[in-house]
Amino acid sequence: MANFLFYLMALGAVVGSLGVVGSKNPITSILSLLGTFFCLATIYLLSGFQFLAAAQILVYGGAVMVLFLFVVMLLNLGNPDTSAAPDFIGKRRVPIAIATSICLALLTFIGVLGQGDVQAGNASLAEVDTITGLAELLFGSFLLPFEAGSILLLSAAVAVIVLAKRERSQADKPQTSDTGEAVR
Amino acid sequence: MTVLLATFIKAVVIFGALVSAAGLATLAERKVSAWIQHRLGPNRVGPFGALQPLADGVKFIFKEEFVPEGATRWLFILAPAISAMAAMMSVAVIPFGGLVTEIDGTEIYFSIADLDIGALWVVAIGGLGIYGVILGGWASNSKYSLYGGLRASAQMISYELPLILSILAVVAMSDTLNLREIVNIQTSGTAFGFLPNWNIFYQPLAFVLFVVCTFAETNRHPFDFAECESELVGGFHTEYSSMKFALFFLGEYCAMIVMASLTVTLFLGGFSVPYWEEAPWYLGVAAFVAKTAFFMFLFLWVRWTLPRFRYDQLMNLGWKVFLPLSLLNILLTGLAVSL
Repeated sequence: MANFLFYLMALGAVVGSLGVVGSKNPITSILSLLGTFFCLATIYLLSGFQFLAAAQILVYGGAVMVLFLFVVMLLNLGNPDTSAAPDFIGKRRVPIAIATSICLALLTFIGVLGQGDVQAGNASLAEVDTITGLAELLFGSFLLPFEAGSILLLSAAVAVIVLAKRERSQADKPQTSDTGEAVR
Repeated sequence: MTVLLATFIKAVVIFGALVSAAGLATLAERKVSAWIQHRLGPNRVGPFGALQPLADGVKFIFKEEFVPEGATRWLFILAPAISAMAAMMSVAVIPFGGLVTEIDGTEIYFSIADLDIGALWVVAIGGLGIYGVILGGWASNSKYSLYGGLRASAQMISYELPLILSILAVVAMSDTLNLREIVNIQTSGTAFGFLPNWNIFYQPLAFVLFVVCTFAETNRHPFDFAECESELVGGFHTEYSSMKFALFFLGEYCAMIVMASLTVTLFLGGFSVPYWEEAPWYLGVAAFVAKTAFFMFLFLWVRWTLPRFRYDQLMNLGWKVFLPLSLLNILLTGLAVSL
């Protein structure tokens, strides 16, 4: 039963992620991603990691995907015009640079994680499924990587705000020069 | 086998009770609004209008099913189902009563599932109900519906954070996420020598934050911007009719009941009877129902008393008042627990 459920969910996760990249409608992509997250959460649950499953649904299913939906609906993205071939690198230099740096930072982070006491981590893997065990691991033996991860996320958030602010102040300039103070 | 059967019976009883209570809540809404506005309210169907929910249900079934032109059909149909299902599933971990009986050495408690992550489960699954509102609003292909869905999503993100942080304060005090254990801790002993040992007396700030956030989470007045009939016609359900509309309402009332029971469980001792630790389980259930009924009444009372906020006021309250306050509360709780 558990095996059958696992393969079903694994299949669902793969189909869902294919739907994310294959679908032309952004809303369908988001819903496919949501389905993938659910399949992953079920797999976590089958493996006995209750907390991870709940966190997956709560954080990704409940908050992050709602934010995605909000943004997509706010911008009202329709079906993209696929006839015009996209110029991938030229227009997206900044996003690609950011994505690359985040990837590099994540790799470094995983490296730091790997240097931690792997033996201790493996030995206590059985205790991770209880909240207490998880807390002891996160705030005990893996405190440094955990905090490094949160600082990484914080720096990403700050970077996004800095980038967004700069773009707005550049966009404001021609407006103020054209019409003077009235715009403000 | 008997344990499986017992679980099945509990699921049927609790699900049935939840859905009938949601029906009763619609009647209560109309009766309470009538009393507050000095009217009579529904009084034609059955004694004192008690059968009005049944009449409403029959009416909904015979209304015309309507899918607007240009709507995304499968999402339009799926959305009310998501809304209702999320609310009904989240009730699974709420402990309605204590130990009922023992079968073959297995203790049977009055709750469907006794998860170690109970508090997380309610928030995670209950929070999914918002997808019904967002997707229903988007799939309707109507600008009023879309605005309703957009507002619901922004509101949900803003108020989910203080909601979870105020739960976290209770969890940090009780040292567990299991709702039954949180109740058990509140059952014995007294607070400050004479009050029942309820978390509300230790966490008054978290209690206030939590209750206000449940209003925002369930899209109730004064935060019902997803519907907002004075600006958006009907908001996310403008285009809905018949049983699909009824399902949205069933979901909303079920979510209210779940949130009221969660408030009772976390802050008011759940099924514990004050000053009587060894109370029989049915009295515990009665105490739970009485406490929950009070919070249901609070939902209605507030709706017919307070005017609706402005949208910018809602966002300011969420991000500039509630989030810092709940973080401060966590900090103070952390200090108090560790000292």
